[in-house]
Amino acid sequence: MIRHVRAAIAAAALAGAGGPALAHHSFAMFDREREVVLTGVVKEFQWTNPHTWLQLNVAGPQGATTEWSIEGLSTGTLSRQGWKPRSFKPGDRVTVKIYPMKDGSAGGSFIGATLPDGSTLGKM
Amino acid sequence: MRALLLAAAAAALLGGPALAAPASAPPGAKLPAFADLPDWSGVWIGDNGSGWDAPGITPKGGIAGLPDVREHPPLTPEWEKKYQANIARVAVDRYPDPVSTCGTPSGFPRLMSIPDGYEFVVRPEQVWILTENGPNVMRIYTDGRPHLGPDDIWATYMGDSVGHWEGQTLVFDTIGLNGDPHTILDRTGLTYSDKAHVSTRLRLVDKDTLQAQITIEDPVMLTRPWTVTKRYRRQPPGARIYDYVCSENNRNPITATGQTLTLGTDGKPIDRTVETGR
Repeated sequence: MIRHVRAAIAAAALAGAGGPALAHHSFAMFDREREVVLTGVVKEFQWTNPHTWLQLNVAGPQGATTEWSIEGLSTGTLSRQGWKPRSFKPGDRVTVKIYPMKDGSAGGSFIGATLPDGSTLGKM
Repeated sequence: MRALLLAAAAAALLGGPALAAPASAPPGAKLPAFADLPDWSGVWIGDNGSGWDAPGITPKGGIAGLPDVREHPPLTPEWEKKYQANIARVAVDRYPDPVSTCGTPSGFPRLMSIPDGYEFVVRPEQVWILTENGPNVMRIYTDGRPHLGPDDIWATYMGDSVGHWEGQTLVFDTIGLNGDPHTILDRTGLTYSDKAHVSTRLRLVDKDTLQAQITIEDPVMLTRPWTVTKRYRRQPPGARIYDYVCSENNRNPITATGQTLTLGTDGKPIDRTVETGR
């Protein structure tokens, strides 16, 4: 399920991050000292505010599938960064990097993604 | 200009409104000439970090809203105590951002320090600061009117702002702010009181960089005036402001205990622990 987990160099990563990643609520629920990389199939991409949401079905080692809720920036900021309302299409197999939720639930804050054609969004 | 003067003279002769004082301005208002005002058109993005006073955050580079991150304004003992209590709540993720309810704007002055796009609309009689995030709409009267009087003013999210132009610099003064607990300065837990008086100087420092120098005076919060500087970068030509309706799909509601939840698409929390406060 989780292909790759590594500790980020926390202080440097935070200092280099610039502005706040999330606009609308406290993001203390995310573990910003860890990055998790998930590969799965897009179930739904919610192009909405205050956050965009990627619903990603990720298969576990025993074949059971877990649906992850991955929170992204607002539609306005992503539009100005070149995203499209259909940047993720249902059925696409994608690899996504997130800051996971601290409590281990199937959610996280979007960092970057690699799309089926090899192009990337965010920071991969 | 000649054409404008002629038009004004013609309007005056015909009994129509004079250009120098449109219907929106008070009688006798003296307005700056449109052509003398700076070009602040386009979309702007703040480059201000996550805190009100990003350079003053400790630990250095810390992100407002994460545990043990704070700023160091000249706080009164009363406000330092309040700030410490908020910092303790941030440490356990029980200090929800007031805007998370999707019912209220950031308010001023916090709106000068938020993500997403800005527009600064310059007109002779008013300047409008429009933020995509929120959204927030801030009006600054530059037609010479005074602040609302003591019998007419009440505490609000945006306050009451009047200003004037010193050359290409907009200088404005804001009172009548509601402050704590309605609005915050940032997610470290820093707030201000309803006695805050904010003075702002806004000007271009180069063609595509706007700078705001913002001084808060607040006898309840601060022992002396506190000034921070913020910058905004003009986006490439053609950039747009987009729709932002916070309640469109808010999957992060707040519980009675201040826990920020994350909802799945079925509307149920995915969090392992959910406090009900009961």
